[in-house]
Amino acid sequence: MPILRVLSVVFTLLAASASGAGAIGESRLKIMASNYPLAYFAERLAGPWATVTLPVPVDVDPAYWQPDVKAVGTMQKADLILLNGADYEKWLVHVALPRLKRVDTSAGFRDRLIRIENAVVHSHGPAGQHSHEGIAFTTWLDFDQAAQQADAVAKALIARRPELKTAVLEALKALQAGLADLDGELKRITSARPGLPLLASHPVYQYLARRYGLNLKTVHWEPGEMPPATEWTGLDKTLAQHPAKTMLWEAQPSPAVSDKLSTKGVTSVVFDPCANRPASGDFLAIMKQNIENLKTPFQR
Amino acid sequence: MRHDFYLAWRHLRHHRIRTLILVLCLSLIGALPLGLHRMLEAGEYWMTRRAEATPLLVGARGSSVDLTLGALYFSEAGVPTIRMQEADRVTATGWADGLPLYARHRVQGQPLVGVTLDYFDFRGLAPAQGELPAILGDCVLGAEAAEHLGLGPGDTLASSSENAFDLAGTYPLKLHVTGVLAKAHSPDDNAVFVDLHTAWVIEGLGHGHVDPQAAPTLTESPFGPVAARGADMGLLTYTEITPENLASFHFHGDPATYPISAVIALPHDTRAATLLRGRYLDEKSETEIVRPLDVTRSLLQNVFRVGALFDGILLLVGAIALFLVALVFSLSLRLRQREIETIYLLGCARLTVARLLFAEILLIGLFAAAVCAAVLAAAAPYASDLARHFILS
Ligand SMILES: [Zn+2]
Repeated sequence: MPILRVLSVVFTLLAASASGAGAIGESRLKIMASNYPLAYFAERLAGPWATVTLPVPVDVDPAYWQPDVKAVGTMQKADLILLNGADYEKWLVHVALPRLKRVDTSAGFRDRLIRIENAVVHSHGPAGQHSHEGIAFTTWLDFDQAAQQADAVAKALIARRPELKTAVLEALKALQAGLADLDGELKRITSARPGLPLLASHPVYQYLARRYGLNLKTVHWEPGEMPPATEWTGLDKTLAQHPAKTMLWEAQPSPAVSDKLSTKGVTSVVFDPCANRPASGDFLAIMKQNIENLKTPFQR
Repeated sequence: MRHDFYLAWRHLRHHRIRTLILVLCLSLIGALPLGLHRMLEAGEYWMTRRAEATPLLVGARGSSVDLTLGALYFSEAGVPTIRMQEADRVTATGWADGLPLYARHRVQGQPLVGVTLDYFDFRGLAPAQGELPAILGDCVLGAEAAEHLGLGPGDTLASSSENAFDLAGTYPLKLHVTGVLAKAHSPDDNAVFVDLHTAWVIEGLGHGHVDPQAAPTLTESPFGPVAARGADMGLLTYTEITPENLASFHFHGDPATYPISAVIALPHDTRAATLLRGRYLDEKSETEIVRPLDVTRSLLQNVFRVGALFDGILLLVGAIALFLVALVFSLSLRLRQREIETIYLLGCARLTVARLLFAEILLIGLFAAAVCAAVLAAAAPYASDLARHFILS
């Protein structure tokens, strides 16, 4: 397989030198991705034929990003706009983007999306009270769903560049194999102790919990902030019924928080959703590390 | 021969008023039917071109003429709306791309057209100044709309409820003009374009809330949802969308059910077009698919029928006018009896009188033709505008 990839790159380079370097530069697909997992998939699948851009600054969570006029202008000029869907791109209704260039990568499993009920209720106008229900959006932490999203990216690429079909499908196979490895590994680990009570610091692990059968209860804490006293009493109450020994974090919590947690017998474990581009490593590497981190509580 | 024309010319100059009246009458008799035909041709070309460029149109079942006129020419007649999901339905078939369009409201007399950015690509519309809309509340003006409203990039334009069909739904929104489109010589020149979402905000389907701080979006307690506090949150809605309040703008309900007036369907090939049309054969369905070219052609046939009637009337009027001109000539011949006698006495043949008369008639005819051509040439640039005005409204 790696030989094939190398060969395909060699062929591209040959084609590039044959048709003039400018030609391939111009014909490069301009791809925009709304989060890092999609950008990673596009980079893997489109390889040298595309310029993949993640318009979200590295220090911003793409789920809470709000594009400015300049970012919208760049997105408008893209050939392909990859969206996570599942209500992830809240900014989508605030901007003008071509519909035909947008690809909702989670559309294939729309009926399997998890609804968050009663998120916010408010009332205005004669219509009276209503709630703004949301949809859990960290779809890619279910690696089977991630593979479907990669599939959607591949289909969109092939629709725009049919001549790349073989190469894209080849790359898709490799990518999906990597994701299937993660999926199998995680299933194997979690099946060792099914129903093991766990805590999560943030409500972003719904699909992870569903796919891998995690018995997860969620608080709403930020890694860098010490939660107020009420949160700690709430936690004590939860622990009484849900004796978890591990809390999943999106990033390493501050020592004060993790120390206080360990006095309650709760160890902090990082499971990074990797929504934005990591400082080092790539999507698969981060996910492998996440799974490695999760091994310990399941082996205890 | 030259002398004939010289004499005829002197004679015509001598009777200036008579000549002028004759020339005007004759040129009008020629210009009217020719001008009418020119106008109809311009209208036909202009409407056919637009219809040809729009392969298929999906809209509410009913009058296909209203649907076509509304979606292609932004006519003022109200078209029943369909739902946004119709655009997804078209695209989901894989046979065609669906471009949703919402042309129901007017802003300061100009049609306000809600589209997605694909529309500009599809019609080949590019901004001559500024940019295309980027953010909610942005709008881009057609060339003539910009001229008519006297606005350019950076200006604002208040949308007002000018829709007779629902007076309660809309509320004024200050639109930001981001650009002016290059002249397209099509109905797009008259329109004010906004993103569909902006059109829905004007419709009252989306809004912002005052002070998003007071309404935190995440009110979950650690272990489950809290009972929501509702009534104490700000109820005021914005009339201008700014970078500060943009994030608080949201839509209620399922956007797939939001109104649009039509979907322009761009089939990938002929076979796809046929398959797609087959999808809309069900008589009971609320939507129908039409070929704007067919609709426009049948509409034009009616116009041409009226045109033919006009031609008949003009032919009659022209014949009467020609008789009158002949009468004028024969009367003037009688008045010129003494003059003709003099010509004979000078020793000229009978034919000379005829030649003189012929020269006179020819000169008048030439002058009339020249005036007629000048009138037609002067009116030519307005032909399509006139056609648009008379055929569409
Ligand atoms: Zn609301």
